[in-house]
Amino acid sequence: MVRKYAALLRMKYMEMLAYRLATIVWMTGAITQPLITMAVWINIDPSQSDAFFFYFMAVIFVERMTSAWDVWELDREIREGTFSNYIIRPLHPIHWAIAENVVYKLLFLVILIPMWAGAALFVPALRVEISMSQLLLFLAAVLMGALLRFLLSYTCGLLGFWITKVAAIYSVLEVISLFLSGRIAPLSMLPPLLQQWSIFLPFRYMIGFPIDLISQAANGHEVRQGFMIASVWAVIFIMMLQWIWKAGLKKNQAVGG
Amino acid sequence: MMIEVQHLHKSFRVHVRQAGWLDAVRHLWKRQYQVVEAVKDISFTIPKGEIVGFLGPNGAGKTTTMKMLAGLLHPTSGKMNVGGFVPFEQRPEFKKMMSLVMGQKSQLIWDIPPMETFLVNKAIYEIDDRTFRRTLDELVELLELQPLLTKPTRSLSLGQRMRCELAAALLHRPTVLFLDEPTIGLDVHTQEKVRRFIAEYNREHQTTILLTSHYMGDVTALCDRIMMINYGQLIYDGELSVLTEKLAPYKRLEVRFSEVPNARWEDYGEVAEVEDSQVVLRVNRERVAEVSAHFLQHFHVYDINIQDPPMEEVITRAFQEELSHGS
Repeated sequence: MVRKYAALLRMKYMEMLAYRLATIVWMTGAITQPLITMAVWINIDPSQSDAFFFYFMAVIFVERMTSAWDVWELDREIREGTFSNYIIRPLHPIHWAIAENVVYKLLFLVILIPMWAGAALFVPALRVEISMSQLLLFLAAVLMGALLRFLLSYTCGLLGFWITKVAAIYSVLEVISLFLSGRIAPLSMLPPLLQQWSIFLPFRYMIGFPIDLISQAANGHEVRQGFMIASVWAVIFIMMLQWIWKAGLKKNQAVGG
Repeated sequence: MMIEVQHLHKSFRVHVRQAGWLDAVRHLWKRQYQVVEAVKDISFTIPKGEIVGFLGPNGAGKTTTMKMLAGLLHPTSGKMNVGGFVPFEQRPEFKKMMSLVMGQKSQLIWDIPPMETFLVNKAIYEIDDRTFRRTLDELVELLELQPLLTKPTRSLSLGQRMRCELAAALLHRPTVLFLDEPTIGLDVHTQEKVRRFIAEYNREHQTTILLTSHYMGDVTALCDRIMMINYGQLIYDGELSVLTEKLAPYKRLEVRFSEVPNARWEDYGEVAEVEDSQVVLRVNRERVAEVSAHFLQHFHVYDINIQDPPMEEVITRAFQEELSHGS
């Protein structure tokens, strides 16, 4: 398995280099929305501008590190029939997607970390003082967020065996998650009822939860509860994915050719 | 037997929709479905090392059958066994012993050179370094790939890409090979190259090959045995030469005269073409000798040519006959 991943990572890296420009545009494009949202919030409440600045910078970081595009890839591959090429090979297609995620996210990491560090030199609001263990917890939460988003996106993508243009369904989920994950506003600013819901829904653990950890807004109990609920969702998603994969293969029409 | 298929069926449920606005709206909540039987009760066996041509018009069920054999499609009913495996169980061991090449679908990764796909396949199929080197060297030589290995796939011509495609599919030395229109869109010269490669590869490695193609050249050059399928049913399975004799019990007699005689051509055979000084007749096999002797004796013959009918003609006839007594 190590060799297989080494080969896949190498290939995905080559592929990424072939798309240099697109990768950069895609990377910077995703930063625009949080920046605009931040500008709006700072305008509404200038006294909190430092807090908002930190929050939305963290949103940019966590959102990039957890982003998932697999549903669009699968949608296209299944609809155009190229997915067959993965099915006939003796390796589950999900590993190709995992390798791709790893390569792109490592790239985001090596771009975003120095950018954050550089910006923190000039902007005091970006400086974080946390212990090593808190940093590790934050990274674990980011990883969990990436896992949840990936699983949801991939599972939705597999629905392409039944429905064409399945990405439309995923877009609806994305809109819900825009609010419940904390991308539009910090979760603490949502109405109490939505805040209540967000604790039990998976979206919070995709973005808002890691930010709570880095900004030290969560206490010990909330951290434990957060990881617990996120893990339960991860298990649910994995089970759904396996079931949909098996049922999907039976349904597969292997179009084209 | 390398491939065994018994009473194979595959039906798809497709929704039907008339064109037009009103119907499009109605379609939103009320969908009409129609069951299409793509493959109806097909049975056959293929022994190890044989190349079998799979013929039929577009939509006859060739590709559907092939996809079921490769494990991509789940059969509606029937039994199939490929090299000891049930294809749709998707066992890794099964995938390692077979390969599917689709002329219209590329397995090569589009934006990077073919060599990268080869390396990924090496890892995925767990091919050790030595075997990989040896196999790759052989394929590179046979398919003349050396200059192509490091160019991005998207910049290759169709013929170059197809050759790389074959190499990617053969790196793990499959014992069963499914070729779905491997020469589609290729020029005559490249078709010839690909054909020669397939024949040579089969001879060398005893690979069992099932091949679909629209080009008769592929089939006559590679296959002794053919299976013909139409409307999802197998209508012929046997030797190519037997089919020719059965469906085309005539030869093509092409005669050019130095002096055009006054004769009723219909008396000698079926008239295919008449042109100033040239006549093409379809003459019954038993009568060919007699008719040509007669021509040579009584007319001023400039040139005479006796041939088997072209494969296209035979196949078209086969499907027409099927049509006339079939449905």
